[in-house]
Amino acid sequence: MNTTKLSVQSTDPRFNPRKGVAGAFVFILSETMFFLGLFFMWNFYAVVQGAWPPLSIARPSPILPIINSGVMVVSVIAIAVSSRAIAHDNRRVFVPALAVACMLGLLFAAIQIVEFSRLSFGPGSNNFGSAFFFLLFFHVARVLAGVIFMMIVLVRALIGQFSSQHRAAVTACAMYWYFIAGVWYIVFYTLYLAWPTR
Amino acid sequence: MASISIPVQKRQSALLDILTTVDHKKIGLMYMVAAFVFFLFSGTLALVIRLQLAAPDMKLVDPGLYNQMFTMHGTGMIFLFTIPMLVGGFGNYMVPLQIGARDVAFPRINAFSFWLFVFAAIVMEGGFALGMAMQNPNLASNAAWTAYVPLSTRVFSPQAGMDIWLFGLILSGIASTLGAVNFVVTAYAMRAPGMTTWRIPMFTWAMIVTAVMVLLSTPVLTAALAMLTADRNFGTQFFKSSDPRLWQNMFWFYSHPAVYIMVLPGMGIISEILPVFSRKPLYGTKAIVISTILIGLLGFTTWAHHMFVSGVAPEIQRFFMFTTMVIAVPTGVKIFNWIATMWKGSLVLKTPLLMVFGFLSTFTVGGITGVIQGMIPIDTQLHNTYWVVAHFHYVLFGGSVFAIMGGFYYWIPKMLGKMLNDTLGKVQFVFMWIGFNLTFFPMHILGLEGMPRRIATYAAGRGWEIPNLIATVGAFTIATSVLIFIINCLTLLRAKPAPADPWEGNTLEWDTTSPPEEYNFKKIPVVTSDRPLWDRRHGAAVQAGH
Repeated sequence: MNTTKLSVQSTDPRFNPRKGVAGAFVFILSETMFFLGLFFMWNFYAVVQGAWPPLSIARPSPILPIINSGVMVVSVIAIAVSSRAIAHDNRRVFVPALAVACMLGLLFAAIQIVEFSRLSFGPGSNNFGSAFFFLLFFHVARVLAGVIFMMIVLVRALIGQFSSQHRAAVTACAMYWYFIAGVWYIVFYTLYLAWPTR
Repeated sequence: MASISIPVQKRQSALLDILTTVDHKKIGLMYMVAAFVFFLFSGTLALVIRLQLAAPDMKLVDPGLYNQMFTMHGTGMIFLFTIPMLVGGFGNYMVPLQIGARDVAFPRINAFSFWLFVFAAIVMEGGFALGMAMQNPNLASNAAWTAYVPLSTRVFSPQAGMDIWLFGLILSGIASTLGAVNFVVTAYAMRAPGMTTWRIPMFTWAMIVTAVMVLLSTPVLTAALAMLTADRNFGTQFFKSSDPRLWQNMFWFYSHPAVYIMVLPGMGIISEILPVFSRKPLYGTKAIVISTILIGLLGFTTWAHHMFVSGVAPEIQRFFMFTTMVIAVPTGVKIFNWIATMWKGSLVLKTPLLMVFGFLSTFTVGGITGVIQGMIPIDTQLHNTYWVVAHFHYVLFGGSVFAIMGGFYYWIPKMLGKMLNDTLGKVQFVFMWIGFNLTFFPMHILGLEGMPRRIATYAAGRGWEIPNLIATVGAFTIATSVLIFIINCLTLLRAKPAPADPWEGNTLEWDTTSPPEEYNFKKIPVVTSDRPLWDRRHGAAVQAGH
């Protein structure tokens, strides 16, 4: 076959490992802005409406979200352990820890769906209900996206595609999961804990 | 030195190639072609709008259709022409070449965001086009590009067209966000050896700031659009009883930065063309870069100046008036630097430079009227009048279209390997500049005379007839200039081939063949200054004893 020879330097930008991690970082920035938009909406209502949350709404029980916060902590620890393990080429820890993080992500989403059905108000009740459900819904959508991301990384890990030299996808996945966890704690605090005493 | 071998020719059909390519140059060209088609489409709508307004009491189109037309004109020009042309088209094609890379950081995401954009565009325009074809007024949006609530809620816009339009807009937002991720990472991680921060070319700098702005602002619009879509279809109550300023805040938090998203790449093109055609280095390179970054930052602090009459607290109004005026400072820095670049240069009066003149002479007017209407009392008077239409066309036609045309004449030799006809280009420039001012200058007067935006017709005897007629004549003059450009593009079929560096450029895109091979550079260039090609030409001349 006819071929063209292209020179490849050690500094060839095509092989720059920074780009995967940088891409994840930049993408997370835009995701942050999406949630900032939703939190702006929440706070806008709080400012213009006086009584926020509306007096007609009873404070939902935070039991399931508290359990979920625990699930999220363990999941974040698992993916952090996993990501450190592959940095040291420790495959025996890397794959199981990643699998644990992934399963806990699924558990989180399942508990969240139970929580949806348990609430006394719905997205159509009033603008509080809409705002409440939107924040939970778009967060759990990210959780599911993160779980899919982890599944892909898990499959690639089982095939043996990662090493300490080649693990940008693992790092990116872990970064995204930290972001989702961070958003969860803010959502949890805003929706369940930050209620005025009446 | 290590090397890799790649196949010279891939044997596949042109159609398969278009559908499967991940080459940033092909994707860039496809963006340009698609965006240009939407430019023609949205421009045709503008011509109909101008015909309708040419004289009082015209009944060319009925008011309902008229509302759809200016809605589609605005959204088409913004979301389907200017942003994809500058960011998707020029950005895709030029950023990797300018930084000495072989492709963008994520070529497949790049292809994905292009096709997502095409799909979004088909959805957005398709509803309108289908509605026109089937005489069905329910398939298009007619709530203007701002889609203010409550006008855009189910109560006042019950038609499916509004949902189609919202869906298209959400998709195009996702497409441009993904594209922006690509640009930021490309410019961060893919630069050729030696290309330090201050050696990044001006257009690439502009694209970096633009991409960051897209990243930070678009998701907020997406959130607002999702809320509106849910209100219309899933029974949520975000906008039903609450304050309409919620939508306005979230909409303008995107849409004011969007102005800079559309103008900064144009400014980058100007900063590329000017030094080459002035035969001088760009005056104050660092000042231009810093002013670009400042515009990017300040662009996020001015959005509420669109809402001075919506009931905003006076102290907040004053803050936004102040920021609106401050943003003129970095813009002014750029304009002075561009003029200083030309000062005592040996100007090469070819079409790209003429288009730069077009940019400077019109954009500056738009910038100044922007400061004027940023003042609260004047804004209260001029809000929603034709003055505003005049102002933002001076900014966006002057700032974007002249720069895009300059970019075409400057870079088409590189992109297609053929030279555009310079004489035709000059004729086009004359028509475009005169047509532009004929169209949009009288709108200032109309605004001061009190003519509101978005009215389908007007009664005689208010002093609006003559300026409107002049504007209509001007619109067709612009159309003529676009026609001349299309003819000029057709002459490319028989045009002479372009050399690798027809203009004696400064930046790395001129360091490769015209058009570049798929891999851009056989050997990744090593950069030693902010004008690598100038250095090489003149370094060689010095060595040869000249």
